[in-house]
Amino acid sequence: MSDLDSIETDHSASRRRFLTVTGAGVAGASLLSMFDARQAPAQIKGTSLRMLIWSHYVPAYDVWFDDFTKKWGEKNGVNVRVDHIPHLELPARYAAEFAAGAGHDLMYFAGQILTGHYYKNLIDLSDLADGLGKKYGGWLESAKSAAQVGGRWYAIPDYFISIPVLYRKDLFASVGLGEPKSWEDLRNAARQLKPKGHPAGMQFSHCNDANHNWRGLMYCFGAKETDASGQNIAIDSKEMREALKFSKAMYEEGMTAEVFSWDDASDNRYLASGVACWIHDAISAYHSTRVTNPKVFEQTFVLPEVAGPAGLKWNVGEPNVWAVWKFSKNVPAAKEFIQALADSQKEAMQASLGYNMPFLKDQYKKPMPYLGNDPKLSTLQEQAQITAFFGFPGPMTPAAQEVLTTFIIPDMFTRVAREGDIEGTMKWGVGEIRRIYAKHKAT
Amino acid sequence: MGKVTASASPKQNGLLAEVLSGRAERLRWTRTPTARRYLFGYTLLAPAVLYVTLLVGAPFVFSLYLAMSDATVGDPVARFVGLENFRAAVETSVFYTAVRNTLVFTVGAGILKGLLGTTLAFLLVQPFKGRKFVRALVVIPFTLPVAVSVLGWKWMFDSQFSVINWALSRLHLIGAYGSPDWPVWLGQPALALASVMFVNVWRGFPFGAIVLLAGMTSVPPEIIEAAKVDGANFLQRFRMVIVPMIAPILFIGTAFDTVFTLSDLSIVYLLTNGGPDGATEILPTLAYNTGIRGGALGRGAAISLFLFPLLLPAMILLLRTLRRRQY
Amino acid sequence: MATVALRAPRTHRQKEIRRHVLIYLGLIPFLVIAVFPIFWMAITAIKQDSDLYLMGANPFWFHLPPTWKNFDILFRQTSYGDWIVNTIAVAFWVSAITLAVGVPAGYALARLRLPFAENLGIGIFMTYLVPAIILFLPLARVVSRLQLQDSWWAMVVIYPTITIPFCTWLLMGFFKTVPLELEEAAMLDGCGQAGALVRVVLPVSWPGLITAVIFSFTLSMQDFLYALAFVSVSDQKPVPLGVATELIRGDIYFWGSLMAGALLVGVPVAIVYNLFLDKFIAGITGAAIK
Repeated sequence: MSDLDSIETDHSASRRRFLTVTGAGVAGASLLSMFDARQAPAQIKGTSLRMLIWSHYVPAYDVWFDDFTKKWGEKNGVNVRVDHIPHLELPARYAAEFAAGAGHDLMYFAGQILTGHYYKNLIDLSDLADGLGKKYGGWLESAKSAAQVGGRWYAIPDYFISIPVLYRKDLFASVGLGEPKSWEDLRNAARQLKPKGHPAGMQFSHCNDANHNWRGLMYCFGAKETDASGQNIAIDSKEMREALKFSKAMYEEGMTAEVFSWDDASDNRYLASGVACWIHDAISAYHSTRVTNPKVFEQTFVLPEVAGPAGLKWNVGEPNVWAVWKFSKNVPAAKEFIQALADSQKEAMQASLGYNMPFLKDQYKKPMPYLGNDPKLSTLQEQAQITAFFGFPGPMTPAAQEVLTTFIIPDMFTRVAREGDIEGTMKWGVGEIRRIYAKHKAT
Repeated sequence: MGKVTASASPKQNGLLAEVLSGRAERLRWTRTPTARRYLFGYTLLAPAVLYVTLLVGAPFVFSLYLAMSDATVGDPVARFVGLENFRAAVETSVFYTAVRNTLVFTVGAGILKGLLGTTLAFLLVQPFKGRKFVRALVVIPFTLPVAVSVLGWKWMFDSQFSVINWALSRLHLIGAYGSPDWPVWLGQPALALASVMFVNVWRGFPFGAIVLLAGMTSVPPEIIEAAKVDGANFLQRFRMVIVPMIAPILFIGTAFDTVFTLSDLSIVYLLTNGGPDGATEILPTLAYNTGIRGGALGRGAAISLFLFPLLLPAMILLLRTLRRRQY
Repeated sequence: MATVALRAPRTHRQKEIRRHVLIYLGLIPFLVIAVFPIFWMAITAIKQDSDLYLMGANPFWFHLPPTWKNFDILFRQTSYGDWIVNTIAVAFWVSAITLAVGVPAGYALARLRLPFAENLGIGIFMTYLVPAIILFLPLARVVSRLQLQDSWWAMVVIYPTITIPFCTWLLMGFFKTVPLELEEAAMLDGCGQAGALVRVVLPVSWPGLITAVIFSFTLSMQDFLYALAFVSVSDQKPVPLGVATELIRGDIYFWGSLMAGALLVGVPVAIVYNLFLDKFIAGITGAAIK
């Protein structure tokens, strides 16, 4: 009992110290870098800037960010206020702000990309985007889908979050398996480890992770949501049926019925409790296991993604972008802030413990902050090459967003896992998606 | 009554005299007690009516408009499309699931709250030691803010760490973790709906018991004595005497509770968000996910207003019947 | 004869004991259902985080020593103190507004035999059928016009829309139970109708007023959506919004602090409730008899 005591206290104390040290260290570094950076124009002095962003999954990042913002504000004479709310509640808040015609100056779309919904009321930020692209080697192609409408930039991409594979090397080794390379390998491992009390887990429920995990599997199998234009549905395909069939087999052989009740945090807990042999989750799970179960943490390894049957590898991430309301009272300061933050991307990445993946090509020069220094995470430096977003290969349109928020894809996988009727599920799912796209086309 | 003032000028033509005399009649009327009472009454009512009209009535008209337009969150001034949104809603199978779940949830939870509340009230009406303490304890589920108590239940229903499962398996009523009879409360479809209903009942039945208790203790003892003298046993007394007297408050309480439950999305949203595969999808969560998070405001409004045409006549009927019974 | 006299008191006591035992037995399931979650929440509030994740450990007691850390997080790392003050302030003002608006309205509907009164009463009730998930949008516009965005005063303005209809009905019921003779006597004394209301009816129906206040308090502490739409500044949030937005970071739930936050606001309200419970029951009683 006393051993557990001291270990626990050590870790909680060390966690706090870790956070503070990281925050302080990074803040110090960013301070230095800011003194080197350009001075903002005098016109924004004495103004105030209000921004709304999400609560980052890595608390240390928010510590760094709030500090960065404060220092930027002090240096430029801008009175800055930052509000954080969970990302799933952001759409409701934005709907209210838009209805009210008043709210924050600078806002953030996290995962739920609303650029297509609000672009008529957002400031055109193309000059800022072009400037950043020129300065940092160009934007990733996928950046445009989250931020552009009709070729103009109405949002500035900040970073994206990837959702890789986290697996227990020791458990895999215990059944003679090495590093998994394909979904088939993952299925195999789960099948062998479930009888030993170590099933795998992926959410079959109405949660954010379910939306992204299953899309990852789908795209790896060659299934597509739409064509490249985003206007025509392409989900009714042999590949999609293959993906559904595979997921049912994987569930039955290697997972338990718990996965139907899971939310976004359940797979973290599964890993931390020592039960899971692998999960498909963002590296915040990896970081939190360091504190809650160090023994498990030691044996947990990270893979960018595993391949589908034809060797295709796609990892579905979540993009985060900045946008500015037209009714904002301080557009110049908002733009200056975005510029300043983009100029400090390296510190931001470090503060996020490698969670934030950049959209600007120059930021991928190795070694990348944090990822380059952690041998377990260094493979994630290639993540951008295999990253796709919802709606793939089409852009993230309002129609795709509605398919996302009504959980049609997770429901399809749930239905097949439960009842096994692939054709019936396809008919239902394709029908629903078709209806949604038809309504958006009519607008 | 005073004199008709118009008769003071006989030279005016007959029509004007009539009008003037009519006006005088009305003027006189405004000084009557009835008129004064109306004026006083409507003045008293004015703040409430104004508040509700401005802040609920006007937005309600707006939401009707939304339901009949193709509005999105970024574009609320859109084209009128008539009943298109309602038709679109009815086309999707998840909508029927949501309606079914909503009705099962509301009616089922209502019945359970009624039964449990009545039983508890029965027990609490008996005099016994510690009654005040027990009453204090059973009120707590109702005073905790919904958002947080539901989160507590989320953990209590957790598939791995559920307190309920731990207790049940210690009592050997179910197997251990990992065995097939370890319930996944929020994962198996019927269990999930039952679980969200249970949380609603957990919050509501103690309050229902207190209300019923109040009603039962309000019946004048003389009537009960009279019934006892007439030879009625407890159940007969309950049915013939107590129930009719507390019926009005029962009706109102049930009516309000039904309406609150029908439009409440917090329990389902926080526990399952409608999953798995729509097993707990109810109209409010469907409307929220479609209209607000999905941005299709018009269709979201249509879904959330769908039950309104059914509820409105039902409520009117109920309230009219109630008022008639009072007189 | 003496035997009978000796036996009678014991039988009565036996009956009493048996009655008590039956009642307690009957109450146990209810108490378990109502109270064990509360007990679990209380224990969790002082548990260490890793204690929660120990499978197989007794969740109703401690495996690792208890800690006040969760309360520390609650008060030092979030604006919980502000949230409590905001919640109480909002509840207070909302109750005040509800009474100020609902008392006259309830009286008018109860006593003054106005035409259309019945329909107005039903109309007021109908407001609950309007869905909040749509309502919050135009209300956000109202709040911003009044320059109350990001202030807890926004909720003071909006929450009465939830409390006024129900409380008007409630108060109407209570006022009907006040014997007419009392009012008539007051009016004969030269009070006037308004005077009768203030001087006679109100004092007598104060259980009803307390009931209305209790309802307003409870209803204003339950809301989440309106608070989310109107307030984003941390120190202006009420408890439900603050706790749900700042103690949950994506996949990390600060369970201990969440439970502590709930209990700190729920238990005092329950205690105050209980103090008023007798009056409250008398209040509902009055409404029931009509």
